[in-house]
Amino acid sequence: MAKLRHIAIAAKDPDAMADFYVKAFDFKIVRSNDGPLAYGHHLSDGTIDLAILRFKTDQIGKGLDYTGLHHFGILVEDVEDAAKVVEALGGKHYLDQENPERTGGFEVKFYGPEGVLFDVAEHPWTGTEPLPVVVKEAAE
Amino acid sequence: MPKLRHIAIAAEDPRAMAEFYKKAFDFEEVGRANGVLADGVFLSDGTLNMAILKFKTDQLGKGMDYRGLHHFGVLVEDVEDFTKKLESLGAEHYIDRVQQQESQGGNYFEKKFYGPERVLFDIAEHGWAGAEPLPAEVKEAAE
Repeated sequence: MAKLRHIAIAAKDPDAMADFYVKAFDFKIVRSNDGPLAYGHHLSDGTIDLAILRFKTDQIGKGLDYTGLHHFGILVEDVEDAAKVVEALGGKHYLDQENPERTGGFEVKFYGPEGVLFDVAEHPWTGTEPLPVVVKEAAE
Repeated sequence: MPKLRHIAIAAEDPRAMAEFYKKAFDFEEVGRANGVLADGVFLSDGTLNMAILKFKTDQLGKGMDYRGLHHFGVLVEDVEDFTKKLESLGAEHYIDRVQQQESQGGNYFEKKFYGPERVLFDIAEHGWAGAEPLPAEVKEAAE
């Protein structure tokens, strides 16, 4: 079974918001970045990546002023296989990670039903739990 | 350390959306919601509870036609302790669990808060249906 491993929040002030969740829940900042898509911080509870980002493009069609929960991410055994299943079910491919060396974040983005955006990756988000061994073995 | 154990999506057609995630990722249906706050479907990946809901109130202030990711939930050792901590950090308490949900079986949110930039999140100490409990060492440390 695939695993939910990433939640992204759109924030105006990612520094202040990340500080709140670090203090409130003891989440750890595992990566900070300023890339073409967003500026912000990735927090981890040891299992899930909580990204708090100021987006630079309007990925969800709600405008660049939108703040709130933005998208989620799913860790899968095989991105290509998952893409075929998602597209066969009506999901729409949106964007690929441009840098093939860049792992630890999204690899492909899709729109699911009602235009809900989600990421798929086969390498764990930085600071998150990998797939359980039984899942990986079953895929091999 | 508390754990992220719940995400909620606002949907127009929760059953159709739930079918997509069940088929695409093998998530399992662990319950149905039919309460004063929302109707919908609860899925699980074995670790998190993923709620796909048609909300009946505008919890986010984004309007009843808002669709997309809605809120998340954090499993904590002690809701009262975390309530004090969250409020000391500036979070605003929104609502407590409503009685009607308790009759449905399973466990859901216990308190909702608005964090920075009015981002809504839940906390619970009993966990969400189909979600993993806190690791034993976290619970022992809190006792």
